Amino acid sequence: MAIITICRGTRSGGEALAACVAERLGWPALGREALQLAAAEVGVTEEQLVQKMQEAPRLWDRHMVARRAYVVALQAALAERVAEGDLVYHGVAGQLLLRGLPAVLRVRLIAPLQTRVRAVMERDGLGRDAAARHIARQDASRARWVRMMYGEDIADPQLYDLVVSLETMDVRDACALLEAALRQPDFDLTPAVLARLAEFRLACRVRFALVRDGETRAHNLEVEAHGTTIEVSGSAPLLTSGRTGERIAAVARAVPGVESVRLKLQWFDPYP
Amino acid sequence: MPIITISRGTLTGGRAVATCLAEMLGVPCLAREVLQEAARELNASEETVRHKLEVPPGRWALLTRDRRRYLLALQAALATQGASGDLVYHGLAGQFLLRGLPGVVRARLIAPLELRVRALITAHHATTQQAAERFIRHVDRDRRRWVRLMYGAEIDDPALYDVTINLRAIALETACRIIAELARQPRYRLGDAERAKLAAFAATSRQQLAELGG
Repeated sequence: MAIITICRGTRSGGEALAACVAERLGWPALGREALQLAAAEVGVTEEQLVQKMQEAPRLWDRHMVARRAYVVALQAALAERVAEGDLVYHGVAGQLLLRGLPAVLRVRLIAPLQTRVRAVMERDGLGRDAAARHIARQDASRARWVRMMYGEDIADPQLYDLVVSLETMDVRDACALLEAALRQPDFDLTPAVLARLAEFRLACRVRFALVRDGETRAHNLEVEAHGTTIEVSGSAPLLTSGRTGERIAAVARAVPGVESVRLKLQWFDPYP
Repeated sequence: MPIITISRGTLTGGRAVATCLAEMLGVPCLAREVLQEAARELNASEETVRHKLEVPPGRWALLTRDRRRYLLALQAALATQGASGDLVYHGLAGQFLLRGLPGVVRARLIAPLELRVRALITAHHATTQQAAERFIRHVDRDRRRWVRLMYGAEIDDPALYDVTINLRAIALETACRIIAELARQPRYRLGDAERAKLAAFAATSRQQLAELGG
C-alpha cells in the first residue's frame, strides 16, 4: 500500500484521524515519535528540538545551521520508516519532508475555528479568548516555520493531494474517504516505488552525515541518490587547500550503501 | 445518495470527474441544463445568463440587481432538480448555490498550472503555451473576482468544500472514487426530510426572485 502524511493545525482532529486510518489499514502511525528519534540522533532533548523548529526564525538567524541540522535529522528519521512502506505520519511538515516522492498521499485537515477553540478549552481548561489566542499563536508559528524553511504557505492547497474539511463531515467520514483513496492503484508500492523510497533513504542518510560533520555542516548542500550513486550539489567555499570537496566526498562515501559519489558544486570565493 | 457539486479549478478535470461519478452512481450529470432552466424562468437567452454569471461586472460597476436575479434563478433551478432526484452538478457556482443545505457533497478539483496548460493545449491543438497560460490566468481572475464580489469569499479557500482534490498526483478515476466514497457516508444521505428542505429552499429563492422584479 502506501504512505500518508496528515498536516493540520492544533486541535483539528488530526491525531484521531491518523489513529483511525492506521487502525483500518493496520499500518503503524508516527507522530511526535519521529521528533524523539531525530532529537536522540542529534543529541538534544525533544523540547529543544521542537523549540528550535517551531520558534519563529528571525531575519538574521544565527541558529540557521542548527535548525537545518534538525530538519535533516527529522527527515532522515522519517525516511528510515518510509522506506519500509505503509506508514501514517501525522507529525510536522510531512508534506514537505516527503515532497516529490511517489505513493505518498499528502493530506491537510482543516476544521472550523469554533470546534478547535472548544477542543482547546476542554483540554487545557482555558477561557474562550485564551484558547483562540493559543490557536492563533500555534498556527502562526507553524506557518512561519514552513515559510522560512521551505518558502511555502502552509495553507496553500497546491502543497497537498487532498484537503479535507471537517465542517460537515466528522473524523470517521474523513477516515473512510482517506482509506478509499489509499486503496487506489495510484498509491501501490510497486518495486519501482520501493526502489525510489530506498534512494530517498540513502540520500537522507548522506545529508544527515554531512550536517553532523564539523567541516561540511555549514554548507547548504543538496543530495540526491541514483541507485547507489550519490550526487551532491550546492555551493561551497573555494579554499586553497581544496579540502572541502574531498571532505564532502569522503563523508558521503563513508555512509553504508554508497558506492560512488559525484560532486556538482558551485565554488565561491569566501574572501573576495 | 446526496447531491454532488464539483467546483472546477482545472478547466478540464471537472467535467471528466463529474461524468465518471454520474456513471458510477447511476445519476444524471448536469451543468448546462440547470443554466437553461434558469434562462427559461427569466425569459432570457442561455448566453445572456452565462455571460452575466461568468464575467464579473467592470471595476466601477456596482453589483447589479440583474446579477442577483440570475443567481437566484440558477439557485432555484438547481434546488428544484435536487429535490426531485439525485444529481452531479459541475456547472457555475455549485459550492455556493446550495450552501448550508444537508445532503450536499461539495468537492473542488485543482491542478498545478503546468498540468492545466498541457491539458488545454491537448484539447485545442492550435493553442500555444503562452496563449494557454494567458487564457487560464484570465479565466481564473474572472472567477476569483466573481466569487469575491458575490460571496465575499476566496474561491480557493478549502473551507468552502468538503474535499479539495489535487490532480497533480491523483488520477481522475481515483478522484471519482474518493468523492463516491464520501457520498456513500450516511451523513450525506438525501432522504425525504432533506428533499423537502431543498424544495422549500427553491421556493424561497423563487420568491426572492419575484420580489426583485423583472
